[in-house]
Amino acid sequence: MSSAPLLRRILHGRGIWPAVPALAYLFVFLALPMLTLLAFGFVTIDRGRIVADTWTLGYLKAALADDLVWRLMWRSFWVAAVSSVLTLLLAYPVAYLFAEAKGIWRTLILVAVVSPLLTSALVRAYAWIVILGGRRGLVNQTLLSLGLIEQPLRILNTDWAVLIGMTQIHLPFMILPLLAVLAERDRRLEEASLNLGASQTGTFFRVVVPMSVPAIFAGLALVFAVSYTNFIVPQLLGGGSYSTLAVQVYEQTIVVLDWTRGAVLATILLSTCFAFVLAIVAFGNRLARWNEAAA
Amino acid sequence: MSHIALQDIAKSFGPVRVLDGCSVAVNKGTVMTLLGPSGCGKTTLLRTLAGFVEPDGGRVVVGGRDITDLPPNRRQVGYVFQSYALFPHLDVAANVAYGLRVRRVGQAETQARVRKALDLVSLSAFADRYPARLSGGQQQRVAIARALVLEPEVLLLDEPFNALDAKLRLSMQIELRKLIERVGITSIFVTHDQQEAMTLSDRVAVMRAGRIEQVGAPIDIYDRPRTAYVAAFIGRANVLPIDIRGGRVAIDPAIAAARADGAAWLVVRPENLAIENAGEGPGWHGTVAFATPQGATIEYEIAISLAEPLRVVALRKVGEPPAAVGSPVRVRAIDPAACVVLEEGPDGV
Ligand SMILES: Nc1ncnc2c1ncn2[C@@H]1O[C@H](COP(=O)(O)OP(=O)(O)OP(=O)(O)O)[C@@H](O)[C@H]1O
Ligand SMILES: [Mg+2]
Repeated sequence: MSSAPLLRRILHGRGIWPAVPALAYLFVFLALPMLTLLAFGFVTIDRGRIVADTWTLGYLKAALADDLVWRLMWRSFWVAAVSSVLTLLLAYPVAYLFAEAKGIWRTLILVAVVSPLLTSALVRAYAWIVILGGRRGLVNQTLLSLGLIEQPLRILNTDWAVLIGMTQIHLPFMILPLLAVLAERDRRLEEASLNLGASQTGTFFRVVVPMSVPAIFAGLALVFAVSYTNFIVPQLLGGGSYSTLAVQVYEQTIVVLDWTRGAVLATILLSTCFAFVLAIVAFGNRLARWNEAAA
Repeated sequence: MSHIALQDIAKSFGPVRVLDGCSVAVNKGTVMTLLGPSGCGKTTLLRTLAGFVEPDGGRVVVGGRDITDLPPNRRQVGYVFQSYALFPHLDVAANVAYGLRVRRVGQAETQARVRKALDLVSLSAFADRYPARLSGGQQQRVAIARALVLEPEVLLLDEPFNALDAKLRLSMQIELRKLIERVGITSIFVTHDQQEAMTLSDRVAVMRAGRIEQVGAPIDIYDRPRTAYVAAFIGRANVLPIDIRGGRVAIDPAIAAARADGAAWLVVRPENLAIENAGEGPGWHGTVAFATPQGATIEYEIAISLAEPLRVVALRKVGEPPAAVGSPVRVRAIDPAACVVLEEGPDGV
């Protein structure tokens, strides 16, 4: 009896009601497992069983007192931050080119941007090993045979390799939001700017770029989040001794099987990631206050 | 010597010929209005002058200098866009200041000039609002201020007043006219509103399908339209098929026609027609179909033997009832000299 009005509300209601099935789904299959996982960091686990009545903040406090955790977090942060900025610098020209292109060229650019998403990040990371790795890697072989260098460059297993890999792999996440905004932009505004005496370059920096600030920051937030939590690229391209917070979560949980420490580090990883993303979004909104007026 | 000269401008978008040998000349410090139906190429012509459209043929000359190949940012031609094109990421003051900033005008001077420009369009109270928070009419005024603040020698306005209410429209028209005279701006101005064209312009160019059909002082065009199209576009007009016999219009020999005998067309303004009692005599015979008192005047529609009724506007006298609907009447031209005889009728018939 009582389910009928509920069903009717879900099907025909306003506000949040139509979203209820999706929210319920997300709660059961995303929020609950995640909370369970994180909760492992606040109990004692003995031989795969939770010991009753052992709720404690001790593990978290211990992790926060650990210098290593802070060093890992710092590396996670700067790698993600630098690669987000690099992604932006590479993505903007591509998105701009797409917006200027016509017909078949647009399709080609779009396919080129999206198709890497169809291969796994793991495969792409391995591809970078082939390109950057050792004396026989593509880069070194080319430079050596051109006589530009005498000794092979050491790129693989350094910060550089991690940055290069992350930037390339996450490029689509930056290009896609920019594409939409740059392609749909109102060209009259650029005409108005030219008419008022600004040069093409001046118009680009005074009109086109500011107007795309919301998309820029959406892309930065997205790329930062996926870079900050990526553990495959640092592991494969950074080498065996290279570690970040995300790599540690993986190793503690999968290799060392210390679920408590893994869960504590995951809690730290997720909450700091959330805080950084919020900060990026807040800064973007501040820069684009006009956008609120338009909404 | 004209300040702006558009010579034989041609432009096609794909197979569509939008401008077809269009020539306009505007004298320094005067206002030229482009009048024409939607899609006849008015905006395209202005965009050619501003440098946004590259013409397929023809020259654009401003101040004796050929600027056909000059990029838009080096033309010094003010432009008020039909769609306003305000920068959404800048507030009103920054929008108006844009051109001054680009020119690296000093901070103090920029502020003073922006304030003056905003005063002119009565928007000083809105200086720190974003365009999205303005009404259509306010946005339009910002667009005008943004162009005027640079005091351009040439100003192009594409339907700049269409979003304003009647009262504001009139005061803006007067303000703009004063400013144009004071600064000596040469302007071209697009409108659909022939009343506005009459008030604001020194000369009017009537456009039709990418060509200029007639150019002249507004009153001259009103009095002496060269085609039925122009007659119908400027003010209201009866365009009637007539026969000419012996240099006179057959149906009303009071009207002279310096043309060979045969079929022709007559343009008569509604206020140049008078209703007389029915009966034998020259003029158009018909019955009153509608009578609408409008205050100072009465508008009649007289059904005659043509598809279109005759329109007559008569002065109304207080206490005198209008001619009864259905009553037979005879209509004659009041001033035969004010009638215009044309070879071709509407749509080149
Ligand atoms: N960039 C373009 N590409 C293709 N066709 C265009 C382009 N610009 C204008 N046209 C066409 O040219 C014709 C004239 O357009 P224009 O904007 O000059 O008309 P208008 O006289 O200003 O009309 P309105 O009074 O409605 O503003 C229209 O048929 C329009 O569809
Ligand atoms: Mg137009």
